[in-house]
Amino acid sequence: MKNAIHLRNVNLHYASTAFKERSLKTLLASLASGKVARQEVSDIHALKDITLEITEGERVGLLGHNGAGKSTFLKMVAGLYPVSSGVRQVNGVVRALFDLSLGFEPDATGRENILYRGLLLGLTPKFMREIEDEVVAFADLGEFIDYPIKTYSAGMQVRLAFAISTAVGGDILLLDEVVGAGDANFMIKAKERILELVNRAEILILASHDFSTLKSMCTRGIVFHHGSIAFDGNIAEAVDVYCRINGVAAA
Amino acid sequence: MPSNPFIGDGLHVVEYFRGIWAARYFWWHLSMADLRSRWRRSFFGFFWSILQPLGLTLLLSFVFSNIFGTTIGAYAPYIFSGMITWEFVVSTIVGGALAFVQADAYIKQTRHPLAIYTLRNVLSGLTVFAAAGSALIIWILLMFPQNLSWSWIAVPTIFPILAMITWPWATLMAYIGTRFRDLPHALGLVLQAMWFVSPIYFEESVFRRGDLHLFLDYNPIYHLLEIIRAPLLRGEFPTVTNYVWCLGTALLLAILASLVGRRSERRVIFYL
Repeated sequence: MKNAIHLRNVNLHYASTAFKERSLKTLLASLASGKVARQEVSDIHALKDITLEITEGERVGLLGHNGAGKSTFLKMVAGLYPVSSGVRQVNGVVRALFDLSLGFEPDATGRENILYRGLLLGLTPKFMREIEDEVVAFADLGEFIDYPIKTYSAGMQVRLAFAISTAVGGDILLLDEVVGAGDANFMIKAKERILELVNRAEILILASHDFSTLKSMCTRGIVFHHGSIAFDGNIAEAVDVYCRINGVAAA
Repeated sequence: MPSNPFIGDGLHVVEYFRGIWAARYFWWHLSMADLRSRWRRSFFGFFWSILQPLGLTLLLSFVFSNIFGTTIGAYAPYIFSGMITWEFVVSTIVGGALAFVQADAYIKQTRHPLAIYTLRNVLSGLTVFAAAGSALIIWILLMFPQNLSWSWIAVPTIFPILAMITWPWATLMAYIGTRFRDLPHALGLVLQAMWFVSPIYFEESVFRRGDLHLFLDYNPIYHLLEIIRAPLLRGEFPTVTNYVWCLGTALLLAILASLVGRRSERRVIFYL
């Protein structure tokens, strides 16, 4: 099947119950107090009636103010968030790069964590043994690779996480900002590696606030505004639209 | 090509189990990592899983055999068998209630079927249970060799039965426990109450004498324990009734878990 993303009238709500009464105590307290003290917290309508089609070979940039729905959109495409209504159809292996440094095991060594992370991503132990040396070389942590993760600095953790997560590509690559990791030297390496992944991927969706990155990596731009699509088309025009809506001077 | 952990939007049962199978390396690793961290940096390590219930058993059987006037030798393996099984159930269920909360870093990054995070508890728990269980078997072979009979081939059936009961139960608790964080505390209380009305430490005859047949004959815990107690302690096969009760309980829990899961599985991420 061809790699593609079809979305038809997709809506996504965050259930308000998730941050309202979460314990029995608050539930009972609100019942006991009698008076209707609770102000109505309604569900957050994070994505509103999204209909779009992304086909093989497309490089899509997402623009929008903070909270416009870019990350929610990516997580919905990745299948992490359920849609409240509408049709979401994604064909192809999705590789998402967000929340990179989550999920390390602090007591295990860097080398062990390479294996663990790979298994989390759905890879086989055999495949991970094959790529281990390459990941170790890229992370370039010296002898620390055989030390427990809890001895790592934050920057070292990000480097390792980045090295593992970018070792394997996918048909559909989802990026929430081009991941900047580690010191200046590593940043250059990281950027090259991301570009390599992008070139190999059939579909790229990149959420970013950096216009030059967006213009250099993407051809199509989608502007989100309060959960709806405000513009969908050429990336240069998308940047202009974004600037106009949000009252930013065009870069 | 790496296998694809992303399953379709609908929660079809076959799809769901296919997803669990596709993630097998991951949950297997998780439960092994749990065991390693449990035993890491302690002198007895693995043997604590045997020593701890064994020590408590000796203490309890000394006290109880004086209270109830039974002989300590025969009573101790009874307590031990009840203790290790119950310990497994409690740790799997209470741990399971928090399984999704604990795995939030994984759940937020990749989309595996959530039941793998309770399967993790079941597997590591079963390993500990197997370790303590083999101590029980050695004990009985040394002290009561006359119990050894063909009925012992029924003993390994405890493993699939325990898994079939605790996995859906823990998953059900995890769905609810993610939404209502009070659950693990309340669960401790409920399980304590279940312990009290079940023949886990107290002998069957205590219940029968007190005319409390209800607490045995209609209690899944009694039937569950009979699966290892009948062969190991009395050299008899477990009855068909025992198995029917166990499988019935497993089926009921599986139905409940899938009913709740159908509604909750995809929404769990919002509550983490």
